[in-house]
Amino acid sequence: MNGQEEGDSDRRTTTTPPAYVGLLSQVMSNTLDEDYRTVAAQRGAEGGPGSRPRRLALAAVVVAFGVMIGVSALKTEQDRPLALAERAELVEQIHLREQRYDERRATEGAVETEVTRLQKQVADDTSSNITLSSRLQLLGLDAGTLAASGPGISVTVDNAPQSSGRTGGTILDTDLRQLVNGLWKAGAEAIAIDGHRLSSLTSIRYAGRAITVDYRSLTPPYVVEAIGDPDTLPARLLETPGGQTWLSLEANFGIRFDTEARDRLTVPADPHDRLLYAEPTGSR
Amino acid sequence: MIAVVGLLLGILAGLLLEPAVPEPLQPYLPIAVVAALDAVFGGLRAFLDGIFDDKVFVVSFVSNVLIAALIVYLGDQLGVGGQLSTGVIVVLGIRIFSNVAAIRRHLFHA
Repeated sequence: MNGQEEGDSDRRTTTTPPAYVGLLSQVMSNTLDEDYRTVAAQRGAEGGPGSRPRRLALAAVVVAFGVMIGVSALKTEQDRPLALAERAELVEQIHLREQRYDERRATEGAVETEVTRLQKQVADDTSSNITLSSRLQLLGLDAGTLAASGPGISVTVDNAPQSSGRTGGTILDTDLRQLVNGLWKAGAEAIAIDGHRLSSLTSIRYAGRAITVDYRSLTPPYVVEAIGDPDTLPARLLETPGGQTWLSLEANFGIRFDTEARDRLTVPADPHDRLLYAEPTGSR
Repeated sequence: MIAVVGLLLGILAGLLLEPAVPEPLQPYLPIAVVAALDAVFGGLRAFLDGIFDDKVFVVSFVSNVLIAALIVYLGDQLGVGGQLSTGVIVVLGIRIFSNVAAIRRHLFHA
């Protein structure tokens, strides 16, 4: 019989295994329970089929096998929705995270653009700040809120000496105003009287027996300092009405009127640099 | 004949009755099924060889299932349950393949 021969060959292999046959080939060659052959050999001698209880045991085992297969199949089937749900959730999470990642990347790109823009703006602001501050400085010099220095002339004026006996030898506020206006007209850029800077708000008035500039009383001689071209200022001053007035004052009343060119003059800042009421039009 | 009827009956019973498997035994059910498969194919081959015996089959079936489950249980206790399951399944799988090959030779003489 064919199977018997194969069984014999199985047995031969197991009884005399070659040296190189390892565990795996042993497992592969010795697949049939030896008991089958032993029992068959015994039964061959006795003969006859199995008894009835044995048949029942066989049936019970086969039924048990069927139940095992059925139950595992059922259980796998029951577990499948759960596994599928988990899988679906994982896939969903992956998609969610990917989407979030993309969003973050987009945000990153936007923020980077914003940073670049802001950096450029900072650079622009810095340069415009420089322009602004230089412009502010210029305006401050013009308005008298900043101390100024430069070449100019110094005009010293004084009342006529009492000994001259002529009346009208006293300098009036009008005279000083005329002188200052003359200097402005002659091209002076910054003027101070006895160290008091003249701005657009500075008054020159006569109060009591003294001339006040910016509400501070001065005593003669008065020194008027004007920053401008020292070469042209004196001559141009004399061409103005103020200069003419002073020439006649000097000639007729003996009032002192000395003009002197200076290489470097310094006029202080007007301390009252706050406007209480005026504001730029259209700011409200 | 009795075997085929019994198998179908068992599968039907398992599917319809849905017997509750105790929670601690559940991990060992698939391994037990593979071990049982090995015993069944061994029995089938013995049957075709003409040396089938009820008692040997029943004993081999029960011992196969119990030993396989026991090995995996031991592996679980030692923390190598997964690896031991794999080992058991590989060995049983090889045996099943060899037996099925022998059965095939019987049926088709090839």
